[in-house]
Amino acid sequence: MGSLQGDYLASMADLVRLYFADGRATISLARPAVRNAISLEMIVALRGAIEEVSERAAKSPGDARLLVLEGEGACFCAGMDLKAVAHDPVAMGGMLRELSHALLELRRLSIPTIASVQGAAIGGGCGLVIVCDLAVTHPEAKLGYPEVDLGICPAVVAPWLVRKIGAGPARAMLLMGGTMSGAEAFARGLTTRCVARERLNATVDEIAAGVIGGGPTAFACTKRFLNDLDGSLDERVAAEAAELSARVMAGSEAQARIAQHLAASEGHKDPRHASR
Amino acid sequence: MNKASPPCITREIVGSILTITLARPETRNALSTEMFDALEGAVALAQQAAQRGEIHVVVIAAAGSAFCAGFDLSEAVASPRALGGFVIRLGGLIAALRSLDAIVVARVQGAALAGGCALVASCDIVCASEQASFGYPTHRIGISPAVSLPTLVASAGAGAARLLAISGEIVDARRALALGLVHQIAPDGDALVRLVGAVTDDLASKGPCALRETKRWLNRVDGTGGDGALSTQSQAATKASADLCDSEESRALLADFWALRKDAR
Repeated sequence: MGSLQGDYLASMADLVRLYFADGRATISLARPAVRNAISLEMIVALRGAIEEVSERAAKSPGDARLLVLEGEGACFCAGMDLKAVAHDPVAMGGMLRELSHALLELRRLSIPTIASVQGAAIGGGCGLVIVCDLAVTHPEAKLGYPEVDLGICPAVVAPWLVRKIGAGPARAMLLMGGTMSGAEAFARGLTTRCVARERLNATVDEIAAGVIGGGPTAFACTKRFLNDLDGSLDERVAAEAAELSARVMAGSEAQARIAQHLAASEGHKDPRHASR
Repeated sequence: MNKASPPCITREIVGSILTITLARPETRNALSTEMFDALEGAVALAQQAAQRGEIHVVVIAAAGSAFCAGFDLSEAVASPRALGGFVIRLGGLIAALRSLDAIVVARVQGAALAGGCALVASCDIVCASEQASFGYPTHRIGISPAVSLPTLVASAGAGAARLLAISGEIVDARRALALGLVHQIAPDGDALVRLVGAVTDDLASKGPCALRETKRWLNRVDGTGGDGALSTQSQAATKASADLCDSEESRALLADFWALRKDAR
């Protein structure tokens, strides 16, 4: 028996928390101080947690009938932690490869996955949202793929977005960059539901109850067919995407734009600029 | 005393944005031999300019009340061979727009039908006014829109592509938005010009290298790029459309259609 709340497993220095309770697995991104920005260590921890969920679902199906992916604190996930890797192309490539693997592994889980998205889900963070089978957000949340604004190629998320909303709308969204509100993200097909922020958890609970009421073998069968039909498990595309994105990010255009962006966000934190 | 006919298209470059405007409103910007010559030339020049890093965005716009009414059928009636040639040239134009190293934005202010709709479906971003309409009314003259299907399936999805191609239904801008063929709409022509201005200024502010690589990658992912499976399909689709044009069925239907149209005038 675990704790009163069910099993609690801390993994990799608490960058990601994994819980099993009430028949569901919950993976919580746990770097709230940096809006759960994705670091290399965090993705490694995330991959470890996904593997544990996969094993638990196979060995003890009643414990993990579905997975909820969430972020601690004000934001689901602010995207890649560019500061840590911006000037290190090797580290950047490694991080993109890990992210690409993590998305694939999340997709490969035999149980339904739900992203619970509060605050913001940007870039790679929004990639985590769309790779889940279902996602819930609230109208004021901020979602999207501003990669091209920073000279970055959103290659890793592109195949997933194409599978999620279709190639035409995905093309327009990725080439236009920027972000959108949770309400617009819902209208454009990025999330399954959009509810008032205070109803977010209750809505995830409702969806979870529906999933737990259904047949796990049927869900696994449906997921397998959907993954086959939309080419989700194409490892070659996932690998090429990471290499392409790393190559573009190492280029002079991206380097200059990322440096400018980081300087601007540093300046933003500086109280002297607070009034601007 | 022969007056040189006015150019079929106009080109304007502002900063890194090239606007190519179809400029034959009296023929509803129909795709004639002359129009194909002009468009192919303009797109080839655009590619050279894009590769020199001079332009990052290309707008395809049109003058008058129609965007483009499709092939110039008067030429097809006069010379039955012309139609198959048009299809092959349309297939080439679609491929050239798709592989252009600049983001292609369609500014659709009126009817975009058959070949006109095929041009729109090959663009990266489609903006339309509420007066725009879209459709493939081609089967009634014995022509298959197969040449447009690879990019149409990629942009609107297989279900919507089937609906548009088989029904021949002409849909308005709002319905085209819902189907995924159009990405943004404006209430009228003036608002459309402002909308496209804002979209292209925004695109021009992005990292051009990131945009180019993202477009190429999307072509690869959705199969509409240079060497993807759909590209092979595109060539087969173009050939299928073109072969049909030489058929008895097509010639008879086209003659009937043309006669009816003349009567209607």
